[in-house]
Amino acid sequence: MPNFNIDAKKDMTYDAIVIGSGMSGGWAAKELCEAGLKTLVLERGRMVEHIKDYPTANNESWDLELRGAIGPEDQKKHYKAGRAGFIGENNKHFYANDQEAPYTEVKPFLWVRAHQMGGRSLIWGKQTYRWSELDFEANAKDGHGIDWPIRYKDLAPWYTHVEKYAGISGEALGLPQLPDSHFLPPMELNCVEKEVKQRLEKEFPDRNLIIGRVAHLTVEHNGRGKCQFRNRCDRGCPFGAYFSSNAVTLPAANATGNLTMRPFSIVDSIVYDEKTGRASGVKVIDSETGEMQEYLAKIIFCNASTLSTTRILLNSTSSRFPNGLGNDSGELGHNLMDHTYRVGAIGNYDGFEDMYYKGRRPNGIYIPRYWNIDAKTKSDKFVRGFGFQGGAYRPGWGAGANMDGFGEEFKDNLITNPGPWEFFITGFAECLPYHENKVSLDKQNLDKWGQPTLAIDAEWKANELALNKQIQEDALEMLEKCGLKNIVGFDNKHEMGYGIHEMGTARMGRDPKTSVLNATNQVHACKNVFVSDGACMTSNSCVNPSLTYMALTARAASHAISELKKGNL
Amino acid sequence: MNRREAIKNTALLGGASILTGSLFSILQSCKSEPRLSWKPSFLTADQAQLISAMVDTILPKTVTPGGLDVKVDIFMDTVFAKLYNAEGQKALVADMDGFNEKCRSKFSKPFHELDKEQRTEILKAEEAGSPKYNGKVWGTAVGEQKPVGFCRSMKSLMLWGYFSSEEVGMKVLNYDPVPGDYLGCVPMAEVGRVWSL
Repeated sequence: MPNFNIDAKKDMTYDAIVIGSGMSGGWAAKELCEAGLKTLVLERGRMVEHIKDYPTANNESWDLELRGAIGPEDQKKHYKAGRAGFIGENNKHFYANDQEAPYTEVKPFLWVRAHQMGGRSLIWGKQTYRWSELDFEANAKDGHGIDWPIRYKDLAPWYTHVEKYAGISGEALGLPQLPDSHFLPPMELNCVEKEVKQRLEKEFPDRNLIIGRVAHLTVEHNGRGKCQFRNRCDRGCPFGAYFSSNAVTLPAANATGNLTMRPFSIVDSIVYDEKTGRASGVKVIDSETGEMQEYLAKIIFCNASTLSTTRILLNSTSSRFPNGLGNDSGELGHNLMDHTYRVGAIGNYDGFEDMYYKGRRPNGIYIPRYWNIDAKTKSDKFVRGFGFQGGAYRPGWGAGANMDGFGEEFKDNLITNPGPWEFFITGFAECLPYHENKVSLDKQNLDKWGQPTLAIDAEWKANELALNKQIQEDALEMLEKCGLKNIVGFDNKHEMGYGIHEMGTARMGRDPKTSVLNATNQVHACKNVFVSDGACMTSNSCVNPSLTYMALTARAASHAISELKKGNL
Repeated sequence: MNRREAIKNTALLGGASILTGSLFSILQSCKSEPRLSWKPSFLTADQAQLISAMVDTILPKTVTPGGLDVKVDIFMDTVFAKLYNAEGQKALVADMDGFNEKCRSKFSKPFHELDKEQRTEILKAEEAGSPKYNGKVWGTAVGEQKPVGFCRSMKSLMLWGYFSSEEVGMKVLNYDPVPGDYLGCVPMAEVGRVWSL
């Protein structure tokens, strides 16, 4: 697409620098470029251009020797992220090389990274939910962590702003704990999901089963094609039907003529100018040559993804900030959160044997939070709550391995009978912000480029375990009351990180003594540095976070632009 | 399914650049070559005979192709060679030896020399005592998986090889690479066969 700045020498000064090109970095680039700012986007990985760099988008299993599986060499390369179970031959090029950029698990922690233009926006789950007032008030009300410096009303117009451009499909329901987005038409529930919905909402009047709200286009939108229901999203979508930086925000930024993208650029640190009390620029290592260069700008957006952003801030030391840029509070690196993952139940539905579906829907069902919404739903075992994702499907030939028998009848049955309907739900619980859950710079273990790595030291505590226990009980009870059979509960006991929703470590707050960022995502004591990726989060709700990062970023960018105009930055 | 329509739609939306891989292969005729012989990468000749015989017993040729017709045994050998680690390969060899040993002690012959009834008897006995695979959520098994044993794991592998083969994936199952829409409740009678993808 755009202005590659590989020959970096000639152009070292910009109006704005955005570190990271993923979910939030792409939005920062779009908003800043559209306001007329000459913007440099730094990406540590390679270039990935929309469509052109989706080489596996149309592969079939039989096109590949191992039919989509990865062999021992690739397993070694992805020895950390491979644990998540999502990496295969068709998407492996969108996952970071764990051997080149290791990290230390002081306690077990899964950190899934994507080092390329677009970052994890190419491989995300696309579930998109607004936070509610309940979420922004949570810390203040139950006393865990510190109060958010903003409320739902501050973010609501920015949710609308990003949703209108990104394209979010879903159904408006008016639930107070899950505010409606600006929606494109919802995807359809299948027969069994409709049946379970009816039963569930009758048995549990305060619970809802809805189609997932997702960043997939169900109609053409802003020149992008609608979802073709191939469910091959994580290879990159040739139709541009799901939201990614590559398909949506970076092309928009580029269209202004104000964007420069520099791939292969690992940020060493943000440079603080003692005289002005502002950041003057960013030190960058060219990952191909190893050469260090410095770029200058009036404002810097740090959107490298939660832990990478914090690594950069911790590594940005000066006499004013000996413990990392903006770390007056000592909270930088602390209060790491994630969502609990893979606790739930699965069962069979007897019936609808004569019904099937058409298309591979990249989406499932959602059961919004119903605990601790009001006095009536208050739990005495835990604070906060959880939601469920799930869905119904027929396993097709995949059921065959568990079926006894073989021979003619066995084989031909698998061709004509899609097997019994299965239905599962799996919970995502909110995690409290604990000072002890932290990351720190590990200067003993350096990466391929001589950069300090991160040591991650975090674990679930009593409240998260109590939430998981309730998830398990509720999942079993709901499936039973909804008429499912052969119900099996599960709790895979995953450590933190499996939710791939890491948040916190540079939190927003009202008081510089207890937080790193202010209400508009500026580093308290260095106002021209903005952090609006997951690092900024003060609590973590139980809903998927990406939409909130997008909205916070657009809001912060708008503030940056207005402050620049006023001459305040 | 309407392949022509799928090709047309895709080409319109994405231009020539996406007409690669599978779509290119749709345009070619899919001829099934009779297999004369093959040289295993991992298996010994005896082990290959065992695996081939298991494939032929579990997935025989009917009105639809058999497992051997679509080279499931060759695929399995590739998987053993390239996907299994050293530990897995060692365990596999021990399992194959152990299974043939059972056949010998019961019928004085290795599996591939048994007749259909004998093969049926021994496979049934193996399956009856074997734990099943746990349910999966987003591709990963939930809960603690008990070892399913040699026969069920081979069955799982050969089903993968069979149904992910080009011949079966495109001609036997219902192949719809670009569905275009999701319809949640469609009578099975209208779909006809299990979806390929």
